[in-house]
Formats: sequence, C-alpha cells, structure tokens
Amino acid sequence: MKHLLPVSLRVNGEPYDLLIPPWRTLLEVLRENLSLTGAKRSCQEGQCGTCTVLIDRKPINSCLYLAVEAQDKEILTIEGLARSAEVLHPLQRAFAERGAIQCGFCTPGLILAAKAFLEENPNPSEDEIRRAVVGHLCRCTGYFQIIEAILAAAREMAGKGAQVGH
Amino acid sequence: MGYLRRLPRFEYLAPRSVVAVCDALAEYPGEARLLAGGTDLILQMRRREVAPRYIIGLKGLSELAFIRPQENGGVTIGAMTTVRTIESSPLIRERYGLLCRTAAEMGSPEIRQSATIGGNLAGALPCADFPPALITLGAQVKLKSQQGERLLPLEEFFLGPEQTVVGPSDLVTEIQLPAPSPLSDGAYVKFHDRHAMDMTTTGVSAFVTLDQERRRFCDVKIALASSAPTPLRAKNAEAALRGQAFTEKAVEKAAALACQEAQPRSSWRASRDLRLELIKSLTKRAIRQAWEKAKAPPDGGRP
Ligand SMILES: Cc1cc2nc3c(=O)[nH]c(=O)nc-3n(C[C@H](O)[C@H](O)[C@H](O)COP(=O)(O)OP(=O)(O)OC[C@H]3O[C@@H](n4cnc5c(N)ncnc54)[C@H](O)[C@@H]3O)c2cc1C
Ligand code: FES
Ligand code: FES
Repeated sequence: MKHLLPVSLRVNGEPYDLLIPPWRTLLEVLRENLSLTGAKRSCQEGQCGTCTVLIDRKPINSCLYLAVEAQDKEILTIEGLARSAEVLHPLQRAFAERGAIQCGFCTPGLILAAKAFLEENPNPSEDEIRRAVVGHLCRCTGYFQIIEAILAAAREMAGKGAQVGH
Repeated sequence: MGYLRRLPRFEYLAPRSVVAVCDALAEYPGEARLLAGGTDLILQMRRREVAPRYIIGLKGLSELAFIRPQENGGVTIGAMTTVRTIESSPLIRERYGLLCRTAAEMGSPEIRQSATIGGNLAGALPCADFPPALITLGAQVKLKSQQGERLLPLEEFFLGPEQTVVGPSDLVTEIQLPAPSPLSDGAYVKFHDRHAMDMTTTGVSAFVTLDQERRRFCDVKIALASSAPTPLRAKNAEAALRGQAFTEKAVEKAAALACQEAQPRSSWRASRDLRLELIKSLTKRAIRQAWEKAKAPPDGGRP
C-alpha cells in the first residue's frame, strides 16, 4: 500500500506541499499538519457544521472530505478571513458585537457558511438565513443572535458594496 | 462509536476518465469502492461498516458532472452532478420543478455542495429522497462497466436496503429524464425530525398529469421513501386516481391504498404504525400539492 501521497493545498492564499496518507480528512490535515485549529472537530458526521471550511468559495464539511481530494483547490479557513488582526471581517465584528458568540466553538463554521451564503445572496430574508445555517449547531446562544448578526453584516456589506459601486 | 475515530486505511486511486474507472473496478473486483461526495460512504467507513482496500475517487471526473438537454425534450444528468447543482440549475427548475424542490430540501448547504445524485441512488438508503422523486418522473439509469453499458428504469434499480443492480465492476454514469408532458407537475413531501438535517422518516412523491380541461387526473405516479425495503411505487393508489376528478374522496381512497401497499418497518426513528399514519397524510398532501402545481400556469400566474 502506498501510504503517503504528495498533495499541494492552497490554504488562506498560502501554498503547502504535504505528504499525507489518503485516509486523512481535510479537517485532520488542517488541524494537525497545518495547526489551523479554527475548524473544529465534533460530530464527524456532517451534522454539526463546526468543521465547515470553504473550498473554492463554497462551504463543505471538512470532516467528510479527504485532504487528497482538495488538491489544487482554494481553501479558506476562519484564520484567513480577517484582513489583519485589527481589521475584522464584517461578519466577525457583527458576531462579536451582537452576542452571537459565547463559547465560540460553532463560530468559525457559522461565519464561513454565512460568508459563502451572502456572496450568493447579499440581500437575504431572515428565513433564507435560517435555511443557510441549518447545518450548524450552537449549544450556547439560542440562534437568534446568530441570525441577527448575519442580517446586520449583510446590511453593512451591501451598504459598502453600493458605496464602492458609486 | 469513538468520536475521535479516524478512517480505516485504504489505497487511493483517482482515474481521470470513465473508461479508466471501469478498468480500475475490473482490476480489483470486490476490493474497490467508488467515492463520490462521501456524505454517506465516509460515515460508513468511519463506523467500520465498510473498509475497502481501494477507494476510487470520482470528484475529479468532470466527464460525469453535467446537466444536458436532449433533443427529445428530456434531460440527462451525470452521476457526479451535485445536489446543489441540481437545485440551482435553471433547466431543471424549468422542466422538473419536482426534482429542483426535492434537491433544495435535502441536508444542509454543506451536504448539498458535496452530495451527488449518483451517490444518492447507488447508496440505496431507504430514506434517500431522490429515488421516489425520480421514479415518479420516469427516470432511467445508465450503468457502465468494461463489459459495456446498460440502461434501465430506476424502478428496477433497487433490490433492497443498500442493495442495487450495480455490480462490483459497474459505475452509474447518468440519469435520463423523459420530456415533461404539459399540464403535469409533482410534489415530494417528507417528514423528519430536525429540519432538513435528519434522515427522512417517511417521504411521498406524487407526479400528476391533468386532462385538457384540468378537471381529471390523466396520469398519476406515486412513490414512497422509507416505506418498504426499496423505494416503492404505489400502483394501486395510482390506478385509483387515473381518470378521476379531483375530489377529497378520491384522494382519501388513494392514500388508503398507498398504506396497504407499503410495508414500513419499526425502527428507533418511528414505529410501523406511525409510519403508516405518515404515509396516509403525506400521500394526501403530495397529491393535493401536485394537483395544484399542475393546474397552475407554468409561469406561476405572474404577469
Ligand atoms: C448530515 C446529512 C444530511 C443528509 N440529508 C439527506 C437528505 O435530506 N436526503 C437524502 O436523500 N440524503 C441525505 N443525506 C445522505 C447523503 O448526503 C446522500 O445520500 C448523498 O446524495 C450521497 O451522495 P454522495 O455523493 O455523498 O455519495 P457517497 O457517499 O460518495 O457514495 C454513496 C454510495 O454510492 C456509491 N457510489 C457513489 N457514486 C457512484 C457511482 N457513480 N456509481 C456507482 N456507485 C456509486 C458509493 O460507492 C457508496 O456506496 C444526508 C447525509 C448527511 C451526512
Ligand atoms: S464535525 Fe464535521 S459536521 Fe460535525
Ligand atoms: S457559541 Fe458555544 S456553541 Fe455556539
């Protein structure tokens, strides 16, 4: 059996050349090989969304995705979202300011899922937001603050977009 | 199940073409497993329900990721087309609203991004949502191996829970849908615990074609999920409606017949009795919704 395969990943814009066994999930490789522990491990069954990362701008459960299959794809984790430590992404700011974070375990997955969703639907209704984050469990906040934070960020981002457009 | 469990070891192959996949399957008979979106198979491997020696990864097979209109007015969907792609395809929305709506109600956006139509059929879980919808649409499936190709009605594809006619050296390549007839539409109605994220406890798909006057059922197809070892056509229920006017009595009768045809089992998810109740009410709902959709003008009556 060939145990190690060469894999080139692009994570948060950085190239990584790795030798990894094919049975390693993208979640394991991000956390254990690259020390990017923002994506969390929980159910490992696609149920909770704590492991969500973006591949080519779309959300996937990295617990169900083989790292070798992410070859040459553009991966975004929560570590790559903010432009700098000082300038948070509007979603990050809205989550922090509106009480959408308590323990924070669900937050990276939720924010990335919300980011991908708002790219497709910059003006969502509350109901559309609920459907967009249906794959995420939060044991702390009770969800209301999360929906509000995404709505607030959507408004802010749409406002900015309009200004830039002018 | 230990929650830190890693996947069992395997050797990974990523053939670049359908022909190369068939060659790989033929080379390792019974030892290789196809990996599409992995939203079923990765779970099964983690639970050690399967531990294949070889995994043949299909994600790179763009050859099988397509939605193609056919000259006869039908549409062919490649096996590696994701649920997300089906949900957002204008062609599918226009010709097969039933399939589009069924896709939109499956799992989460994350699951739909990875899950494929081929995996949903080939996995043959009794709770899968595409089989009943596709059966009522009259879908056919194409299989390919080194020996050649076969095309068969989806109804004949399922043999039992997680069992299909797909042999160890077969690959599902595409799903073919016939041209939709005018004055027809359908509805898939399902019951599950947590919105969209839980396996379907019971699901019913109804697809109806109306007569010219929009008063009677000209043709009816009804198929059930999680109601028998395989997706099940409720043929007696269909026959009871054919040629009938739309009345509550006719719908009630069809639902009662569907219950008689179903053979649901008790599981931790639901008892047999609960499932029978569900089949009755979901069948009624599916027929009513299908009727309303088929009757409405295709543009939804908007100016
Ligand atoms: C959280 C969660 C929610 C879900 N919700 C739903 C839901 O609402 N409705 C629903 O129907 N399902 C649901 N599922 C189940 C699953 O996502 C679907 O069945 C999905 O369509 C499977 O496709 P896949 O590409 O991921 O298949 P895989 O897991 O890759 O494969 C499934 C099986 O099919 C075989 N296979 C795959 N492709 C082929 C091919 N081309 N030819 C031959 N064999 C093949 C594989 O070898 C394997 O045995 C859910 C799963 C999870 C984890
Ligand atoms: S850990 Fe991946 S969905 Fe829960
Ligand atoms: S903030 Fe704790 S799980 Fe969501």
